[in-house]
Amino acid sequence: MSFKKETKYADGVAAVKAMESTLLTAGDIEQLISASTKAEAESLLNAKRGSGEALSLESVWSFLQDYAPDCAELKLLLYKNDFHNLKAALKAVISGKEPERYYLRPTLLELDTLSGILLKKDYPALPEHIRDTAERAYELLTRTMDGQLADSLIDSAAVSTLLNDAERTGNDFMIKYAELTEAAADIKTAYRCSVMGKNTAFLELAVAGGKDLEKDQLISAALSGTESLFEYLDTTPYSEAAALLKRSPVAFEKWCDDAVMELAESARLLSFGSEPLAAYYIAAETGLKNLRILTVCRESGADRETITERMRRLYV
Amino acid sequence: MTNGMVLAIIGAALAALLAGIGSAKGVGLVGEAAAGVVSVDPSKFSKVLILQLLPGTQGLYGLLTAIILLSRIGVIGGNAVDLSTSQGWAFLVAALPIAIVGLISGMVQGKTAAAGVGITAKKPEHNGKGIIMAAMVETYAILALLISILMIYNIEV
Repeated sequence: MSFKKETKYADGVAAVKAMESTLLTAGDIEQLISASTKAEAESLLNAKRGSGEALSLESVWSFLQDYAPDCAELKLLLYKNDFHNLKAALKAVISGKEPERYYLRPTLLELDTLSGILLKKDYPALPEHIRDTAERAYELLTRTMDGQLADSLIDSAAVSTLLNDAERTGNDFMIKYAELTEAAADIKTAYRCSVMGKNTAFLELAVAGGKDLEKDQLISAALSGTESLFEYLDTTPYSEAAALLKRSPVAFEKWCDDAVMELAESARLLSFGSEPLAAYYIAAETGLKNLRILTVCRESGADRETITERMRRLYV
Repeated sequence: MTNGMVLAIIGAALAALLAGIGSAKGVGLVGEAAAGVVSVDPSKFSKVLILQLLPGTQGLYGLLTAIILLSRIGVIGGNAVDLSTSQGWAFLVAALPIAIVGLISGMVQGKTAAAGVGITAKKPEHNGKGIIMAAMVETYAILALLISILMIYNIEV
């Protein structure tokens, strides 16, 4: 590998390392959990933030784009927001409602024009990764008026597209990220479908399948009931996750997030490449997720032990 | 001009050229990393500057070797010596240690120092450790310089 390729994004990685001190640490979370009032928690957050602006994923993305605007690997991180926004826009087009409040940011899509593109069926105006899915989902939704079915199609396409595009970059970190995302999504989908007694046609549409979770086997296990599904998952590298899912879906969700964080941590010691940049985005995303969980738990009156149990593993 | 003289001048050129390229790449890389840190925290400028300077020495070693070689063969000073082909080869080979080691160590030191910039970014109080680690690479450039100079001085003219 050439010197230039080997040392790509040296400036971005150094900048990210300088920014790591702004991320929430386990100690910060501990203090936030201990805060007796909302005001106290906010003051702790303000102290952490210092004179800087509040951490948002949009600001993190914009920061990363300053250093790596052409990085295809990083763009994969926004696929889930893009496909979510497609779902929101499709429903808005059908129902005639305003999708703006359901949109997630950052995104690779032009959100101002997304609904218009779908209305005009001007699919070539969409980015390549979402083009076919948008067309298929629109056709399915208008034909069946089954929002759940269209959502499943989009969710499955989101995972498949992520896997394919990650493979195309040839970046091991992003391939592993895509595989973890696929496994988490497929296990969740298969479990829900199994519980709800969905048929083969629905599962065929909703399950993406991947390297470790073979699509046909997963569908067949899900169709035979949850016990069969867990038996199948026991034979895969996700047996630990399956055991947690059996106990509680909340514990399973935490396992999925923690597995992605473990992957992010593997990139923390690198000085070059897109991996530390992606890891920083994942870290910021997880920090914000922890804050959201904390807020919801406090509002619902959850005890300290429950909150601590639900907190995701952190980067720093 | 004899063939020997041409070979010796090629040796001097390689020493300055390759070691200079190594340094330029190394300093450039650390500069990129340093700029990344300074864009977030300008107060760390002086700390990262030391790291950026480290891979620059190989270029100086190459320059020093070239000057010594050129003065030994009389190109600098105006009394050019009539070198035989074998003497020319000897000077060329003598220049190779600093030329090759300078090229490689300049780039490698650049990578180490850029990683050191990461230490400074995260933990500025441990900046010295990053400098020491990058400076270790310097050892091999110094050894190559020593060998090149010893050889150049000991070739009979």
